[in-house]
Amino acid sequence: MPRKPPETFLPLKSNWLHILLSLVEGEQHGYGIMQDVLERSDGKVRLWPATLYGSLKRLIQEGLIGESSERPAPELDDARRRYYKLTPLGRRVLDLESERLRGLVRALQAKRKLEA
Amino acid sequence: MRTWMSGCQAVYRRLSRAFPHEFRMVCGDGLERLGEDLAPLIWRDQGVLGLIRLFTDIALRLPLEHMMTWVNTTKEATMTGDLFEGTWKATKSERVQWDPAYPQPQQTCLRLEATETGYLMVAYGIVDGQACAERPQSIFSDGRRRPLVDLNGRPIPGVPAGAVTFGGCPDSHTLEVGAEIDGKVLGAGTYKVSADGNTMTVTNEGIGLKGPFKVITVFERVVPDPYLPVS
Repeated sequence: MPRKPPETFLPLKSNWLHILLSLVEGEQHGYGIMQDVLERSDGKVRLWPATLYGSLKRLIQEGLIGESSERPAPELDDARRRYYKLTPLGRRVLDLESERLRGLVRALQAKRKLEA
Repeated sequence: MRTWMSGCQAVYRRLSRAFPHEFRMVCGDGLERLGEDLAPLIWRDQGVLGLIRLFTDIALRLPLEHMMTWVNTTKEATMTGDLFEGTWKATKSERVQWDPAYPQPQQTCLRLEATETGYLMVAYGIVDGQACAERPQSIFSDGRRRPLVDLNGRPIPGVPAGAVTFGGCPDSHTLEVGAEIDGKVLGAGTYKVSADGNTMTVTNEGIGLKGPFKVITVFERVVPDPYLPVS
């Protein structure tokens, strides 16, 4: 099946954005993603397991992330865990979303300046 | 307390295993592992309220995933086996481009039937208020070149002798066909079906009786297919 163009995913759902952000620096497993999101949001955003895995499933189906075949060093690895990574499409979507958010912030700042 | 927590984990495990097969194929046993590992931590940090949230999350997601699986199964069941096969009706899309040298039909329909080598295509519609139909033609999608003749192997009026036709599928949603003679292109057509299988954009260009032409038509799949028997 041909993939959707990256623009059609915008604006990204909040959960999807958090998950994609967690995968920017490298592969992660489900628990790692959850912890990363929790830390990055100062404990305000917790992706509960079913929500997290539901989103991971959709992201895999849409081709934004994929399951990684590479495993960490055996001493760092838990064989039960599945690792996920960004795909080129996922990276492109994330770039477009960050550009969109930057535009929103610019617009807000411009309005604030006018008010002042 | 340990028994209480083991009970919670067992219930979580059972709920996780009740997720549809499609979900478990993609996520493996990640959900049940994560839930089981998380339950004691949530209990320690957030108490009963945390556990309620943990179970609410899975209790809401479970029917949602079953519903999504059911919707996908229904969608697949209503799609025809072949993306191109079926009856298509032209729309008034903005992408439509008609050559003014030719009368634009008020209605156009295409019927595509899969054959061993490609498709049998019948085009019909209404032009100047009159019902009309083109002669049925074969569209080949196997990459081989064949003489451009009618279904009975006879020459087609207006088509020079020696013309060949060919076609192929560069991807699963696109069919490209063409006709040429001595290396000179007589015509080319592209049939592109949308990702959801409901729209087909047909681009035809070549040299007709009134000179070069290019026509773009957007079709919608006719559902239910009027040519299929109602069960």
